[in-house]
Amino acid sequence: MQTNRLDTGGRIDRSKPAGFRFDGRKLQGYTGDTLASALLANGVSIVGRSFKLHRPRGIVGSGAEEPNAIMQIGNGASTCPNLRATQVELYDGLIARTTKGWPGVNYDIAAINDVFGRIFSAGFYYKTFMRPQSLWHVYEKFIRRSAGFGRAPAAADPDKYEHLNAHCDVLIAGGGPAGLAAALAAGRAGARVIIADEQNEFGGNLLATAATLDGAPASDWVQQTTAELSAMDNVTALPRSTVFGYFDSNFLTIAERCTDHLPAIERSGSRERVWRVRAAQVVLAQGAFERPLVFCNNDRPGIMLASAVSTYINRYAVRTGERAVVFTNNDSAYQTAIDLQRAGADVAIVDSRRSSAGATAAIATGIPVLSGHVVVDTVGRKGIKAVRVGRWSGDATQTVDATITIDCDVLAMSGGWSPAVHLQSQAGGRNEWNDELQCFVPGESPQENRVAGSGRGKWSLSDCLEDGLGAGKDAASRSGYTPVDVEAPNVDTEEPASMEPLWRVPASQPPDRCPKQFIDYQNDTSVADVRLAAREGYCNVEHVKRYTALGFGTDQGKLGNINGMAVLAESLGKSIPEVGTTTFRPAYTPVTFGALAGENVGELFDPVRTTALHECHEAAGAPFEVVGQWHRPWYFPQPGEDLHAAVNRECLATRNSLGIMDASTLGKIDVRGPDAVEFLERIYTHNIGKMSVGRCAYGVLLGEDGMLMDDGVMARLGEQRFYLTTTTGGAAAVLSWLELWLQTEWPELDVFLTSLTDQFSTIAVAGPNSRRLLMKIGCDVDLDNAGFPFMSVRDAELAGMPVQLFRVSFSGELAFEINLSSSDAPRMWRTLMQAGEEFGITPYGTETMHVLRAEKGFVIIGQDTDGSVSPVDAGMSWLLSKEKDFLGKRSLSRPDCAREDRKQLVGVLSADGTTVLREGAQLVEDPHARQPVPMCGHVMSSYYSACLGHPIALGLVAGGRSKKGETLYAMQSDGSSTAVKIVSPVFYDPKSERQND
Amino acid sequence: MTDFSRVDLGHINLRGSAEDSRFVDGATKVLGQSLPLAANTLTQSLHRIYWLGPDEWQVVTESDRAADLVRQLEAALAGQHVAINDLSGGQVALQLTGTDVPELLARACTLDLHPSLFGVGDCAQSGLAKTNVLLGCIGETPVYEIIVRRSYSEYLLRWLRQKTHSRAGSVSS
Repeated sequence: MQTNRLDTGGRIDRSKPAGFRFDGRKLQGYTGDTLASALLANGVSIVGRSFKLHRPRGIVGSGAEEPNAIMQIGNGASTCPNLRATQVELYDGLIARTTKGWPGVNYDIAAINDVFGRIFSAGFYYKTFMRPQSLWHVYEKFIRRSAGFGRAPAAADPDKYEHLNAHCDVLIAGGGPAGLAAALAAGRAGARVIIADEQNEFGGNLLATAATLDGAPASDWVQQTTAELSAMDNVTALPRSTVFGYFDSNFLTIAERCTDHLPAIERSGSRERVWRVRAAQVVLAQGAFERPLVFCNNDRPGIMLASAVSTYINRYAVRTGERAVVFTNNDSAYQTAIDLQRAGADVAIVDSRRSSAGATAAIATGIPVLSGHVVVDTVGRKGIKAVRVGRWSGDATQTVDATITIDCDVLAMSGGWSPAVHLQSQAGGRNEWNDELQCFVPGESPQENRVAGSGRGKWSLSDCLEDGLGAGKDAASRSGYTPVDVEAPNVDTEEPASMEPLWRVPASQPPDRCPKQFIDYQNDTSVADVRLAAREGYCNVEHVKRYTALGFGTDQGKLGNINGMAVLAESLGKSIPEVGTTTFRPAYTPVTFGALAGENVGELFDPVRTTALHECHEAAGAPFEVVGQWHRPWYFPQPGEDLHAAVNRECLATRNSLGIMDASTLGKIDVRGPDAVEFLERIYTHNIGKMSVGRCAYGVLLGEDGMLMDDGVMARLGEQRFYLTTTTGGAAAVLSWLELWLQTEWPELDVFLTSLTDQFSTIAVAGPNSRRLLMKIGCDVDLDNAGFPFMSVRDAELAGMPVQLFRVSFSGELAFEINLSSSDAPRMWRTLMQAGEEFGITPYGTETMHVLRAEKGFVIIGQDTDGSVSPVDAGMSWLLSKEKDFLGKRSLSRPDCAREDRKQLVGVLSADGTTVLREGAQLVEDPHARQPVPMCGHVMSSYYSACLGHPIALGLVAGGRSKKGETLYAMQSDGSSTAVKIVSPVFYDPKSERQND
Repeated sequence: MTDFSRVDLGHINLRGSAEDSRFVDGATKVLGQSLPLAANTLTQSLHRIYWLGPDEWQVVTESDRAADLVRQLEAALAGQHVAINDLSGGQVALQLTGTDVPELLARACTLDLHPSLFGVGDCAQSGLAKTNVLLGCIGETPVYEIIVRRSYSEYLLRWLRQKTHSRAGSVSS
């Protein structure tokens, strides 16, 4: 039964009932309701239990500030925890559950905590569960269970999300009176405008007020204005869209909820969309939050913000009680009293001020007003039953005795208003305390923006409208448009807006002994907690926040923070601006992880690069290894083979006859120009000038610190033309590194660099039969040793296709690398595979490549090096030219680089001849030494070598080259150790006869 | 509606100094078309030529003409400090047509593609769905050309296929 629903009025659609479940109960509301308004309409008063003390809590607010009505919405994989019921639109079939209290919110066993409320003071958990430390993991389990709110879904998110980049002249955050007016002014001037509002319809407070504009309900003006804005091509109006982040350079993010308001059956497409907006100008029109008042037991269900009580009446046709007390320190709550009276409730007003314009007007309408009084305490555990009222001296340091009791079932409170300075603070703007307005207002901003309306303390509706128009005009003109005159609608009756600060109401006992006076409902932070923190020496507001939890949680202190600052200021004997605020960070309200991830999930999580031969490898059934963004064939299993069986077979086939692999992922750079030799001499360590055209060289390049950065083959294709290869993962970094030196340090050198990585595919054929294979398919160059020696390059025609043929080897076998246009690569691969059948041609993947090169002691940069390995450490001193300077050379003569006991590349053999060592295993001299055991090296690459019949490994060992023949121990992951022998890193064909064959 | 297709074209990367008239004249003569010299613009006539930098251009032409053009450019510019590379095997061109295309691209590209800022003849090197692309507006409809490295093209096509099939749930008012 919607016992609290009014017969008429509101923006709900009474023709569209919406059934929903709340903790299993079947209830009904209407389309246009929020979950909160529907619950209130049904007379549901308890919606949660408090965080620490498990006190019953009811709905307090009507928007983002709501601390108590934190719900779990939906079931199964798409369930969403911790949504504020005040921001959840009601739809038919909605399922909501409370998130606190066991077995339920109406009867919560842990409410016993409240009886011992005094011991649950600030820092309780820190102080109590510290010792013994070993038991923390026991405590933690129970504390975590009794704390916390909803539950994250366990299954994968079935919904889709998307991102959209947008650009505009003017972005307006907030679609209330100021925002709409700004949009109108900027839109009419012709600017590209985006206006976003978090609610389901534009209008903000205009939808919740009884005020009239130009003699008509304010909602009429909202309707006209939104219609005009929608008709403008240059305006994008986004309802259900929260501007949640404001970053540098006027980059803002908006979370648009596309389908959450619809019954499941009507949902399609993306659930949420994150707009990433680059705006030339920004207008912040987010409005203000009403502050609660701080008095004893101010958290009973039925105690609400005055503005929320009005909103429920005017927007949702819900009267939250029959006997109402309005407790205020300012004029705005008088409208709530009038709204309540009009809705048929009995109303009394308690005003802390001795006199006010509001009181005079209220008395005229017959509402009793107790001026100069305050609510000291309340009665009613599961719902407010009465307030106790006392005379207010104006001095918070004195106690106040309650002398009057007023029965009521709703208490509407108003402690004044705080502008929502969140986005301006995120933008880097400063907040300034305004003594007249008694609130923080946005100060100077480092970005191109302005704040309009109540967001900067313009409390009256006409001021908001005028301010919005002005901001819209200003933003449009600053982005280059000529503003046009726009007239604001006339506000028919303007309410007075004076206030007197009242940060906490004293009780008959001192604050530390009286019943709880809550500041932050969600975290159960009370006046006594903040004062205790101050007494214990916390004087910085950020520390107090962390000690007392003030301002944490889903509402991030939107409701209670300013009251908390004021109480802290009083305790410290400082002013509020001296205490200041905590830091406002994105997101303004919680955003789902799904929205932040957007489309970057599943197969679009990260780009996948494939070679031109990818389909050939897929057809061959190869699993792929991810190398950088590349997917490379890992091994080519035959039926029944696992990785090791396949790799053993591939290795033996290559060594004994013929292997073929796709090496296309190597980085390839074309280097041309009159200064190409000079440029490369400075970058690479070997002598380039001495290379003759048609020859290749293995080259390494060093960082400025002298450490190995990348390696590859360099071919001289002409007097002024070179071709470089890089490692697969280093391709982009090397090109950037070369361009960096060329463009910023040596612009006088005439050299052009062009990436050919994608243009050329590279097919390596390796093994004693590789030459025969090429001759068989038709090659127009002489392939014998005299005509085409090891480490040379030729332009050739192979099987009728133009290729660049390299005689290089990364396996130690006689081998050729065929470079050709990626367009021709699949045809070449198939030709080679077919022609190679008679030699048992065996495709091999990255794993076999790793084994073959390790048998030869060839390092892989990034696997065997880690940025701290110099070429000397890696045994490459022969590559370092003594005749020239090159990048990193000087660093090699630093004392540290010249140390004898640096870690050096060695071969490592397990002494038992069977154990394959763990890659990364630490090498020690004495595994039984006292901990911490001194470490003298580690294993980088480790494989079983089928050719040799035993495992091999490469390691880095301190002073390793002089330790050959010695025994060390490799630590295994289970703490055991294996004896190993240090040997030469070249295990196979040490004289390198095979590649020169 | 959005249409996209992979287009088989020839691609040539051309390096040389825009300030060297010998180079500019020589290239123009072979190409039969002037090199765009203003940043982020392209010229279209016999070929499409994209400005990539003060000393770098991308020539897009019919697929069977690229090899010939490379030979002619090499002959005409012999002895000069230039670099001419046939990238036909290393690049893939996609063309997208439709009024929805700017919004489609906006889902994973940060450029402002408003027609007043990125019209026919404009181009830019940018990111699209985390891949590097060369993007040009080549027709009024509008028609956009996206040139991407071959190794990324399957990924980008997958992205395009997903995006053209899934539109957002509710249309923003």
